[in-house]
Amino acid sequence: MKKSVLLILALLMQLSVVLAQGLRTVMSFNLTDVTFARFTEEVQKGSGVKIWTHAEWTDTLRVSINDDNIEVIDAVRQVLKGTSLTACVWNSDIVIIPGEGLPAILPSYEQEYIIDTSAKKAKKLTATEERYITGRKPGVIQTLRIGRSGGSMKGSKARIIGRVLDNNNGEPLINATMYIAEIRTGAVTDLNGYFTIMLKPGKYNAVFEILGYEKTRYLIDVLSDGEIKVALNSAVIEMKEFVVYGDRQMNIKAKDPGLDKISMKSVRELPMLMGERDILKVSSMLPGIVSTGEGASGLNVRGGGSDQNAFYINKIPIYNTSHLFGFFPAFNSDIIKDFSIYKGHIPAQYGGRLSSVFNIVTRQGNRKRFTAHGGLSPITGNIVVEGPIKKDTSSILLSLRSSYSDWLLKRIEDPSIRASSANFNDVAASVNYDLNKTQMSVFVYHSDDRFRLADITEYAYSNNGTSFNLIQIFSNRLRGEFSLIGSQYDFKTTDTQDESSAYKHAYKMGHYEARADFKHMISDVHTLDYGADFIIYKLDKGQVNPYGESSIRILVDHGKEQGVEGALYLSDSYDVLPWMNLTAGMRYALFMPIGKQTVYNYFDGLPLDARYTSDTLEFGNNEIIKRYSQPDVRVAVNIETDVNGSIKLAFNQMHQNLFMLNNTITVAPNTQWKLADYHLEPSRSEQFSAGVFRILGQTGLEASIEGYYKRSSNYPEFKDGANFLENPRAETNVLQGEQNALGLEFFLKRSSRKLEGWISYTYSRTTTKVDGANPWDKVNNGELFPSNFDIPNAVNAVLNYHFTRRITMSSVIAYQTGKPITYPVSIYYINGVPYLDYSKRNAYRIPDYFRTDLSLTIEGNLKKNKLLHSSFIFSVYNLTGRANPYSVYFRTDNGRIRSFRYSVIGVPILTATWIFKLGNYASD
Amino acid sequence: MHQTKLFWFLLIFTLIFTSCIKEFNPVIKSADEKKYVITGSVSNADSAQTVNISMTSPIQAPAYLPVGGCIVSILDDNGNTFNLSETGNGNYSAVIDQVYLTAGTSFKLSVTTPDGEVIESDYDMMTESPSVDSVYYITEDHEGLIEGEFLKGIQFYIDLDGAETGTRYYRWEASETWEYHADFYREWYYDGEIHHIWPPDSSLKVCWRTRYIPRIFTLTTGNLIENKFRKLPLHFVDNLTTKLAYGYSLLIKQYALSETAYTYWDQLRINSEEQGGLYETQPLAIQGNIHSITNPDKEVLGFFGASTVTTKRIFVQNVPNLELDFYSFCNPVVLRKGLVEIDPQDYPAFLMGDALGYFEVLLNDACVDCTELRGSTIKPDFWPN
Repeated sequence: MKKSVLLILALLMQLSVVLAQGLRTVMSFNLTDVTFARFTEEVQKGSGVKIWTHAEWTDTLRVSINDDNIEVIDAVRQVLKGTSLTACVWNSDIVIIPGEGLPAILPSYEQEYIIDTSAKKAKKLTATEERYITGRKPGVIQTLRIGRSGGSMKGSKARIIGRVLDNNNGEPLINATMYIAEIRTGAVTDLNGYFTIMLKPGKYNAVFEILGYEKTRYLIDVLSDGEIKVALNSAVIEMKEFVVYGDRQMNIKAKDPGLDKISMKSVRELPMLMGERDILKVSSMLPGIVSTGEGASGLNVRGGGSDQNAFYINKIPIYNTSHLFGFFPAFNSDIIKDFSIYKGHIPAQYGGRLSSVFNIVTRQGNRKRFTAHGGLSPITGNIVVEGPIKKDTSSILLSLRSSYSDWLLKRIEDPSIRASSANFNDVAASVNYDLNKTQMSVFVYHSDDRFRLADITEYAYSNNGTSFNLIQIFSNRLRGEFSLIGSQYDFKTTDTQDESSAYKHAYKMGHYEARADFKHMISDVHTLDYGADFIIYKLDKGQVNPYGESSIRILVDHGKEQGVEGALYLSDSYDVLPWMNLTAGMRYALFMPIGKQTVYNYFDGLPLDARYTSDTLEFGNNEIIKRYSQPDVRVAVNIETDVNGSIKLAFNQMHQNLFMLNNTITVAPNTQWKLADYHLEPSRSEQFSAGVFRILGQTGLEASIEGYYKRSSNYPEFKDGANFLENPRAETNVLQGEQNALGLEFFLKRSSRKLEGWISYTYSRTTTKVDGANPWDKVNNGELFPSNFDIPNAVNAVLNYHFTRRITMSSVIAYQTGKPITYPVSIYYINGVPYLDYSKRNAYRIPDYFRTDLSLTIEGNLKKNKLLHSSFIFSVYNLTGRANPYSVYFRTDNGRIRSFRYSVIGVPILTATWIFKLGNYASD
Repeated sequence: MHQTKLFWFLLIFTLIFTSCIKEFNPVIKSADEKKYVITGSVSNADSAQTVNISMTSPIQAPAYLPVGGCIVSILDDNGNTFNLSETGNGNYSAVIDQVYLTAGTSFKLSVTTPDGEVIESDYDMMTESPSVDSVYYITEDHEGLIEGEFLKGIQFYIDLDGAETGTRYYRWEASETWEYHADFYREWYYDGEIHHIWPPDSSLKVCWRTRYIPRIFTLTTGNLIENKFRKLPLHFVDNLTTKLAYGYSLLIKQYALSETAYTYWDQLRINSEEQGGLYETQPLAIQGNIHSITNPDKEVLGFFGASTVTTKRIFVQNVPNLELDFYSFCNPVVLRKGLVEIDPQDYPAFLMGDALGYFEVLLNDACVDCTELRGSTIKPDFWPN
């Protein structure tokens, strides 16, 4: 053992850059599950190249390689993929050693330095030390000098602000890690590629890492406070494909329990409905997030209603996130750079929803050159064009997506289909300026949907939003971000079912926000996040107007509603001990519904009903109707138990001032949003969560177990038969109750392997109780009942298998307990006709849900220089054709009671999608 | 090119329209407790008022479980009490003179069950019903349960024209009566030997059948400017039965309701006819107006209401542009081995034939006796000649 190490180290000093012919010999391998020694023989036979290694390192290795056209060196690297071993070229042979390997090319500078460092120590090094040394070999490493010499007070730490960018297109990299092994410390870049760290003056070996990029080492020489900028090359050759990103170190060190991140790469490879990439569907594969069925728009996160998720795309809140009743997401997944879901600890800068925050950050556009990519699926076509306005400083990105299904429907020889039509579009554009200490960006978003059902009912809805964002770096310690955001959601319904009561209704909701967020590093252990947020909500709930000449419907004016919300927050991330971090924050929000408004009061002891109006209160324009405020406390503790594991604890309080008026089980396209008002109080929730995260040795596996308990109060439930269209007084239809949710989430993930993916299992329960003082203020007689989206058991698996770099097979397996349902328990007769008497609410469940999807992604060739890269995705949704019940219902048909099972999709659906981009396989 | 289009169409079609609806019987535990079901009304349509008392039955064993031996009375808000007497099968009735049945009077029901439980309804006020404006039909194609499969037939509609001051809540009941014919006269029969009836017996050739349409039709004009409505859909009669072949009559009963009565009937309608779909709601907890005084926590199902009733009958014959496509229940069987094939149990067995002789073709009962199909040979009074 020692001998071979010494041999290698001795040889190190005589490294040569000459690449022998042998190494580039193109060979054909056809080996399945053989020993490494056997592989070595093959290589030597085929190319004359010898492989030097230590048997202890490689004897457990099993080799499978099938390639007709591969260079020897690539073959060896492929075999070693996923192990801790590295293949290095030495003379015309290959040396395999653990760790980072030998430098491939000797630098022309600082050569002496290498010899000095390594050679002196060579003789007395143990294997571990050797790995350590090879890990910090400075020879190939560029030195980054930070600050001025003498600029630092003796003994004090220097504050360093760094930024990590993509060397290819200049875009900031999110969640790149910087890690300094010597002092076991590091930092993670934020949404704008920034990181901050405090270091004592001195020299450090820093490793910058982010999946999909070459791992890059720098020697940083810290003299005093200062800045560094690091550009990483995307790993064209070594690129692997990853399912979920969130580096290992990151998962252990991240301070937010219940934070999930999804990479776009993984979304691209999942089998998707109609060839559409859908991050919302992928989200529902994660533990704690469920969707109640196909076509159900909206997700339920940890037992919360579907209106309890805040959805932001570059800070623009999106109030309707789906196209075509939840079948497709309302944005082009191609432009997404980062997608995070906060469901446990929600950072103090977010507020306003009880369950979760879905945060999407889009790409800023290529800063180096113009490029385009797009795709074509049976339903939609999309294209993204991006490029620099001024190289390296400013960029522009434009994305367009449109459905053309309407075109098809119109040409079909079937009267009822021809009479139905559906189409949707979405557009996003951004312009970004990146000056040294200032960055500015403008983002514009639009989506619209139209569905005409057999000439009877027409639904149309759209989202529009603009955000202006300015980041200013004031000093090494302080960075500020200022945003102006405007968002508008509107829908229109035209119903001509009955000519006498035909109507048209248009609803509009505006969200106008200004916010400032600061990140302030006050010492090497304290980082403060603080800021202020101000929102104006303007709702024009519209009029229900008679439609058509023969409609005699009474005009119902839902009126307008306004509210203002102001919030201040402060949060401290405190490294109490090297292995323990405490993030404690508070968000204080004040919400005020404001006039002009007429508020009705009702007689005590009677139901809230228009008939029992006692008096009315008139509030003038901008007059404050009511003030609601309470602090939200957010605390999270992250304890690193060892290098491979951590324990995370969190307590989280949230408020919600905005509700969806919806009594259908899924969200209909004409669902109104409503502000908390004089009668309706904001809902409030408290969540306790705890999790254990571990990396399981060298297996490439990561596992986590998280548990939570959440209780919500003032949770809105709606009265039976509530009609939000005809009754503008929402308070007469709403009852506020309690909701309790608890769950245990198991997650096992494997990445960077040929077979990778994740399996999750969630056990959770959600119950609702509406038990007011009076009989009419109760639901289900005031007894506890399972919420509509109470899914106790959910198992999801996402598995990818990479046959070669160009061919990937992906599969999704989803199982969940059937959702709760109210079944009839007895029958009675009136006039000889049978009628049903129903059970307690949600006492039963529909049959379980199970679905398997499969997809095959075939990438075009891997030539580095080419104009256009194409790939094809063939996918089958619901491979087994199982007709998963969406609901089970009973109907009296011709005097007979019949029960039915309704499935939205009961057959396998095969789709083919073509995706193209300018550039090669690895281009962005 | 055409092929490609078809391919895309199929893809889209399977996505959006392959939602499938299939019959399905879930496993349900029966309710432990049985509940009383009390329904009835006071109406001015005729003087006999009926109240029906039964119990709920488990979902696995649906049965009508009448409750006899109750003491039942109807009270009005003028202090009059009308006692009802049991007429069997869970029914109780009394004759109330028309002088008491005026709009504006409120009625309530009081029941004492055999085990001494006292059950009462709330008061319900009788409101004036406008006359039935018009009932008519339109020939339409309706999509059946199977997607893409269309039924031809006629859809009935009703128009409403109420007084501005009258009630805004309505319910309709419909009963249909139709004439139908057996395929053959009774002429030749065999009971061991051949008999010839001459002239042929036509007494079982023509029948009429009346059926209550088991649906609830409700309407409120509360959300309309005028107390009027056009084209409220009633039921649909398809062309696959003999209903429209010889003559069809529809009787509409229009009930003017109070708001609570409307809410009850409308909720009952929604629960039995409007379940399912992508945007389904929870089944409603139906609010009746009957309560147990003895056990206030025990739910009693049903509704006792008071309403004025107006009726209208229409006749339909020879629907234009509608081809009938019905199937007769008559299945003549050719006797290959002759008359010996006839089972003596089937005597008398009718045979096909004419004035000249018979054929060895056996006619089943439905061929020669229209009462086999549950009709009656007595022509209803209202039937036109």
